[in-house]
Amino acid sequence: MEIKTNYTVISPLLGEVKWESSPDDFLLSTQLGFLDFLEKDWKDQFKEVRQGFTALSILWKNPEAQMTFQRQFQKFKIKPKELSTQIWEIPVCYAPEYGYDLGALAVARRLTVNELIVLHSSVTYRLHFFGFLPGFPYLNGLPRQLHTPRKSIPDRTVDAGSVAIGGSQTGIYPQESPGGWHIIGRSPVRLFDLLKEPPVFASPGDRWKFESIDPDTMDKMLITPPFPRKR
Amino acid sequence: MSKELAIATVLKTGPGSSIQGLGRIGQAKYGIPLSGALDMKSFEWVNHILQNEVFNAAMEISQPGFQIKFDSNTSVAIAGAQALIRLNGDELEGINLISIRANDVLEIGAFLSGARLYLGVRYGFKSPKILGSRSFYAGLTEDSFLSKGAKIKYFTESNPNSELNAKPKWSTDWFQTEEILVYPGPDFHLLNENLREKLFSESFRISPQSNRMGVQLLELLENELPELPTNPVFPGTVQLTSGGKIVILLRDAQVTGGYPRILQLPEESQWIMAQKWPGNKLLFKLKKP
Repeated sequence: MEIKTNYTVISPLLGEVKWESSPDDFLLSTQLGFLDFLEKDWKDQFKEVRQGFTALSILWKNPEAQMTFQRQFQKFKIKPKELSTQIWEIPVCYAPEYGYDLGALAVARRLTVNELIVLHSSVTYRLHFFGFLPGFPYLNGLPRQLHTPRKSIPDRTVDAGSVAIGGSQTGIYPQESPGGWHIIGRSPVRLFDLLKEPPVFASPGDRWKFESIDPDTMDKMLITPPFPRKR
Repeated sequence: MSKELAIATVLKTGPGSSIQGLGRIGQAKYGIPLSGALDMKSFEWVNHILQNEVFNAAMEISQPGFQIKFDSNTSVAIAGAQALIRLNGDELEGINLISIRANDVLEIGAFLSGARLYLGVRYGFKSPKILGSRSFYAGLTEDSFLSKGAKIKYFTESNPNSELNAKPKWSTDWFQTEEILVYPGPDFHLLNENLREKLFSESFRISPQSNRMGVQLLELLENELPELPTNPVFPGTVQLTSGGKIVILLRDAQVTGGYPRILQLPEESQWIMAQKWPGNKLLFKLKKP
């Protein structure tokens, strides 16, 4: 199986590889395969590649490099990359003092708060890429019953560590920021650490599983943030 | 060559000024924005006339009423916005390469044209390097903006250039234009004829809700475009929100976004945007890549 793909020149230095598919594991493995190919064969030609759910955008060093790439594009043979088997356990406290939108969201989704928590923490999510803020994970795999449009008026500030639902996605705010997602809990894990190289612990393709913790455990973990456990 | 560290102290500053360099290229995979000077053309000129390295960091000053004191000899260069410049109270007319003696106070007064002024120093300002760059960015560097009393390190120049207080040629004509050259963005095809017509025939004004992350436009472009899967954006990407807001992303913008990416400004157009004030008018002029 292969997904239809094309390359669009956006500006003399910028272009985009786009796949006509919805984000899923197969598309991700194709994308990661393409990233490996770029790193291997074109690394000295581009300044940066950015990854999204259905595209890879390439910022080229010069227009000639982009033209050469575009001419050869249809001939590239890309081997999908096997997705990682790594699962990270991410502790989350779903208490109302942290997940202040839990009640309203449960009502909107016709669930009890407990059902909502169980649904959110029972599945594993696939990390596709980091975006929005340094270390903000784009996770795929939110159960359909929890899909919820973003807030029409974003919150002025969302606390660092807040676990949230927006559209068909779930994620964690690595730092305090304005935000339009529904806040359902908080994780004591440090998602982005400037002093580490790389500053994030997970890689695209890894899976994340949220583990519900009680407020007492949370209090302790907030004092000494744990490193997420590998399963 | 032995160089000694000296200190420049910010005595006065308006909001929004910072230290910027080339930015953090290659770290978008961790969600880290590019950052760096908004008007790269003026920034590069400052380093050029100081005979600095291209990556040496400079101050990006975005408000009049800036005062800085240098505790040791050096040379500074100024480019970008044109402003009234005073050295120890004396006006320096048209001079943009200035020799500085210990305890000199340099002042940036009213802006005559342009919105961002670059103040560079020989060998560059040495604010802490975070993830390979000295460019300020909230959440990464300790400071997001320059504040009153801030002390920034630089290397003193024992033997400043004698040809200083010169007037190297620097024109600001290039940013006086209202016309902004743009390319179709990756989601341009979603715009119908009517929206395209409006986008390229009407003029738009810059909203006060603009900063280093992006410039918002006052006039809305009502649309029924769908929300899309989150995909890459770059400085210069123009997003159209469901509410009709047009946002031109600049160098501190996030690396991905979910709004349709209708246009893309090439670098040259981004430099022009950096020199615009809220209320300024602009006209998009479409160019095929």
